[in-house]
Amino acid sequence: MSVATPQTATSPVVKTGGLARAAKAVVTIVAFLVAVELIVIAFGIRPFYLPRPSAIAMAIAATPQAYLGGIWRTFLETALGFVAGGIFGVLVAIVFHRWAILKDLFFPLFVISQTIPVIAFGAIVVLWFGNTLLAKAVISFYISFLPVTVNTMLGFDTVDPRQIALMRSFGAKPGQILRRIYLPAALPQLFVALKLASSLALVGAIVGEWFGDTTGLGVLLLQAMYNENVVGIWATIVCSAALGMALYGAVSYAERRIVFWGNEQ
Amino acid sequence: MSTTLATGSSRQIDRGIAGAVLLAVVWEFSARGFNLPAYVLPSVSSIIAGMVQNAATLAQAARFTGLEALSGFVLGCLIGIGAAIAASLIPGARRVIVPVATAINSVPVVAYSPLVLLWFGVGMSSKIVMVAVAVSFTVFLSTIAGLDRVDRRSVDLIRSFGASRLAVLWRLRLPTALPLIIAGMRVSTVRSVIVAIVTEMLGAYGGLGWVIYQAVLQIDFVQVWGAIIVASAISLLFFGVISLLERHYVFWK
Repeated sequence: MSVATPQTATSPVVKTGGLARAAKAVVTIVAFLVAVELIVIAFGIRPFYLPRPSAIAMAIAATPQAYLGGIWRTFLETALGFVAGGIFGVLVAIVFHRWAILKDLFFPLFVISQTIPVIAFGAIVVLWFGNTLLAKAVISFYISFLPVTVNTMLGFDTVDPRQIALMRSFGAKPGQILRRIYLPAALPQLFVALKLASSLALVGAIVGEWFGDTTGLGVLLLQAMYNENVVGIWATIVCSAALGMALYGAVSYAERRIVFWGNEQ
Repeated sequence: MSTTLATGSSRQIDRGIAGAVLLAVVWEFSARGFNLPAYVLPSVSSIIAGMVQNAATLAQAARFTGLEALSGFVLGCLIGIGAAIAASLIPGARRVIVPVATAINSVPVVAYSPLVLLWFGVGMSSKIVMVAVAVSFTVFLSTIAGLDRVDRRSVDLIRSFGASRLAVLWRLRLPTALPLIIAGMRVSTVRSVIVAIVTEMLGAYGGLGWVIYQAVLQIDFVQVWGAIIVASAISLLFFGVISLLERHYVFWK
């Protein structure tokens, strides 16, 4: 597609703007952390409520492998579930779009399935798939696919029927119409869902780990809670936050590159 | 999602019911036909029988969880909408607050739950706080997005008639934002039940999450499925009520 061409022209601008923004963000974060540190010291807040940011940083620095290992493991579970959920979500939307009767039969069930609390489901999934990476990926997959389906269908609805009629009159096959009109039209909505799904998938992976595992952010959270180790909980929250923001940022970056026309609407 | 449900013709509703029946039949026959053990997949009929047997326990747990989810939901909506209005009234504030809120929102909410449990104890209050946190961010972000959608020219017009900032807010910004606010609330309903249950699993004196956790420990999977069905029913009810409100108040959509 012609997606790649406009970027090359605009990318230097985006880059310098991005660098300046990143620098500003770093300065803001550092200033915020220093402020928290000073407030905690000045008011003598007990570590039970809010430990000093430096103490949290030191806890991470003391056992970096544990946290890096946890992030990596949780990332794998999340990424696997998210990618599978994204692909499956789009496929289901295409199938529902193509055969309306299937949509009427099963879409309500899909909506209902999303009201099932993941964690309850988690116990059963872990039982089905064992205590493996796959079990957590399945939970991530389960909670990330429906937003993708819903938004892709919304995107399909925005297509002007006259465009389809035009393409048909030129002899376009259904597959071509799908690729050239429906999928591009659904992209902006799709990315809204993908951003949501990226954070949902992470929640699924963390919650899945609560059902028993040896590594991962969810495990670190539980261990810290049972030891009433508040610094450890905060350190894990920081790691989860970093992972969550990185995933969100990656999807947003992909959105800006792929849906370059998004800002015009 | 709600529009499909709300505007569903009678044929669509029939087909929806047909789909549910189809699933139940396939489930029942595969559970019985393949003789699956209960920990893999109990049959629908045995789940229903189990639910009838434990009706009192499940009803008690459902009240517990429902109360937590509802209190947290109301609290979270008030905080989210209030904070969004405050941020929109202070010029320049939203440029700072929105990126921070988006960043915090991308942190998985469940990561806070051990901390909240330690702070607020094992009782109901920790669940209400967790639900409120989860709901308030979603509602805040959708309210801010809604308040921003106002056409600059409309603001200029009613300001030229001498409307105060508050009047602009009440008569123009809030009505414009209403569809997005309610959409945010609708998404939050299901989340609030899930967050309440997730937090209950880590520690509670009652509620569906607690029931599920106990049942998993006792390897009583019929009870797990029963509790799952009750939890889904609460979420659906909650979702349905907000969708009804949406159709009533956002009638122009």
